[in-house]
Amino acid sequence: MLSFIIRRLLQSLFVMLAVSLIAFSLFRFVGDPIAQMVGQETSIEDQENIRERLGLNDPMPTQYARFVGNLAKGEFGFSYRTRQPVNELILSRLPATLELGAVSLFISLIVGIPAGIYTALKRGFLSNALLVTTLVGISIPTFVIGIFLIYTFGVALGWLPTFGRGETVQLGWWQTNFLTLSGWKALILPGITLGVYQLTLTMRLVRAEMQEVLKTDYIKFATARGINYRSLYLHHAFRNTLVPVITIIGLQLGGIIAFSIVTESVFQWPGMGLLFLDSIRYVDIPVMSVYLVLIALIFVMINLIVDLAYFAIDPRVRHRGGDD
Amino acid sequence: MKLTLRAMLFISMGTALTLSHGITSAETFKWAGTSDPQTMDPHANNSAPVLGFLNNVYEGLVRRNKAMKIEPALAESWEQLGADGWRFNLRTDVTFHDGSAFTADDVLFSYERASSEESDVRSWFSPVESVVVVDEHTIDFLTIAPNPLFPDSIANFMIMDKDWATANEAMRPSSEAENFATRNANGTGAFTLASRDPGVKTTLKPYEGWWDTLESNITEAVYTPIGESATGMAALLSGEIDFISPIPLQDVPRMKQRAGFKVHEGVEARVLMFGFAHQIDELKFSDDVSGKNPFQDVRVRQAAYQAVNVDALIDKVMRGNAQPAAQLVSDAMKGYSEANAERLAYDPEAAKQLMKDAGYADGFSFGLQCPNDRYINDESICKAAASMFAKVGLNAKLTAMPVRNYWPELREDNFDMYLLGWSPGTFDAEHPIRFLASTPNEEKKLGSWNFGGYSNARIDELLPMIQTELDDDKRQAMIDETTKLMQQDVAYIPMYVQPLIWASKDNIELTQRTDNFFILRWVTIQ
Repeated sequence: MLSFIIRRLLQSLFVMLAVSLIAFSLFRFVGDPIAQMVGQETSIEDQENIRERLGLNDPMPTQYARFVGNLAKGEFGFSYRTRQPVNELILSRLPATLELGAVSLFISLIVGIPAGIYTALKRGFLSNALLVTTLVGISIPTFVIGIFLIYTFGVALGWLPTFGRGETVQLGWWQTNFLTLSGWKALILPGITLGVYQLTLTMRLVRAEMQEVLKTDYIKFATARGINYRSLYLHHAFRNTLVPVITIIGLQLGGIIAFSIVTESVFQWPGMGLLFLDSIRYVDIPVMSVYLVLIALIFVMINLIVDLAYFAIDPRVRHRGGDD
Repeated sequence: MKLTLRAMLFISMGTALTLSHGITSAETFKWAGTSDPQTMDPHANNSAPVLGFLNNVYEGLVRRNKAMKIEPALAESWEQLGADGWRFNLRTDVTFHDGSAFTADDVLFSYERASSEESDVRSWFSPVESVVVVDEHTIDFLTIAPNPLFPDSIANFMIMDKDWATANEAMRPSSEAENFATRNANGTGAFTLASRDPGVKTTLKPYEGWWDTLESNITEAVYTPIGESATGMAALLSGEIDFISPIPLQDVPRMKQRAGFKVHEGVEARVLMFGFAHQIDELKFSDDVSGKNPFQDVRVRQAAYQAVNVDALIDKVMRGNAQPAAQLVSDAMKGYSEANAERLAYDPEAAKQLMKDAGYADGFSFGLQCPNDRYINDESICKAAASMFAKVGLNAKLTAMPVRNYWPELREDNFDMYLLGWSPGTFDAEHPIRFLASTPNEEKKLGSWNFGGYSNARIDELLPMIQTELDDDKRQAMIDETTKLMQQDVAYIPMYVQPLIWASKDNIELTQRTDNFFILRWVTIQ
């Protein structure tokens, strides 16, 4: 078990190195950071000085080596755009993204799992309606869903805020939405927007797995034994659908955090995704590189946690002694 | 203590009374723009979002009024010291937001800070030889050559408190790492920086001790950047914000019809134009012309000019929201050449004839570079213009790209023709001559945005004379001559002056200035 974790952590190091290397080789196509940093009257000579000072004239491998070296020393550099320390900048935006991700995951599970079980067991109008609406939900681009929700609930009905986080409470460095009413209200629309895809996925996965499990012999025997249906479905059948569901949900959580960019930009949600988008616009290389490495780290960690969760849920994995 | 309580009660009663009368009341003004000012340091970034925002917090020796004319600010008067420079007589009743007094030492310090190596506004001070403090409230700016425009050119030179900057180790603008002045401010302006969360929210409050009388009744102003224009519009329509700038042109008719909102339309100082590759010997993107550059022939340039139907562009692409331009500055700028106000007529037949005369009766293809996120509807303008060019045989191959790639591309000379918008920082006709019409010369810092390398010896000769001429009439005559030369040479194709389109709730009164600065002290909530 311990060796498994250590092996995984080493792997993750390589993943992060690879991600940052690929990112770095792409940065020169993003544009010129200097033109974004100075005004139109700044002389070309001064621009060249800045370029030299920032080390942008060095060959790519040198820049990359310097970046990795600094990371190893715990130096994350400074944003080209705001001149703030990158780690501070990202940390200040991290809570917004994580809270939004948690809410959308929660929405997708609380709706997706029961809906999945229901549609697996019952056929009929409600079941079909659920399947069709969610299918429509994932076929429409996130941006459009977001704008639709904003105009319906924000503008036309005026129930919920159209942008931003609302009032937040500062807990140490963590800025939270969870302690104010306006913070909760602000979470609803972006949470749904971001969660629609997960919701559909969870529902369809649970449904398919349930249908699969219900066909197996042990369920038939259990039915024959006269176990009541509630216990049969929830205890015997549903538990066995959980392994693939957890894998997918885990991987999706990484996706939620990494790809909340669109939702964050539609709702002007001040999280990491919005920060990344702004950074692309300003060719803010230090922020982009640290962000990408961080996302790689999050993905790797989530995978690790998912693998560990198998130990808890699936006795077969436990008995193999963690040798996957 | 009892007394203060009573006083407070009295004041709150007073407030309640005025509230019910709706004369003055606690008014929070929430506004949004597309991007966040990068810094709160007035010397670290010479861009409109930063300088525009900080104009509410910091002040210069002089400032621009609603009509963009120079008026006294921290200096109550100024006079020319013959040909040597300028003397500024400073106000004696000014304090910074932290309460410390404003003196000539602060001006000297700010000059040193703003003209330092790390500063992004140092180009403003290239004509300055030295700055001398005469007494506590008098300071001389001595210039290398006579400089009639100097006070105009430093309207955005903002004064920082020397003691504050020193105590907080912000003696120089931040170049790589941030310093205290990046997120904090201590100006003399009408508003103080109450809180700053970069990219999220910035709050300003009126400064009680401001030397001037505040027109505005705002008691708190909250700025939020909203990048997505659809989100910004929704925020305005739902009433969460009071004002937004800019709004997309296609939303203008809808906003005008909507009750409770209004659209503020004005013109910006920015002139949109096409530029040519004057210098290169061979077109870079042509399929059918090799070994020569047709744009070196003035007839071809004029054909391109007359092929563009600017009125149609304004009508269709800009939805009627722009003003045609015949020169590189708008008529609101100092030095605008009345004598050269006429555009060449749109005339595709004449253009075809010119192409024939130049030996390109069958036309030729060339590369047209265009940004797609810099100016209003920039890519659409280029597309529309390309189809107009095609009608006279100028077959433009359009490449549109984000501005972060665009400038490097132009600096690398990767274009045959390109789109450029220019807003003169000094609001004077000399500015585009210096940056767009002078022969590029890195050492003299001339022509740094003259990507095509347009060159006219007479203009190069006139520029230093324009810069030092003290007599307004003589100066205007020289600007007229330069403008005429550029028109004769068809150095650029000036097209139109870009509009300013802002929107707000009905109860907001404000002033639009052509530099696209949003001045809070002119905002009142009805």
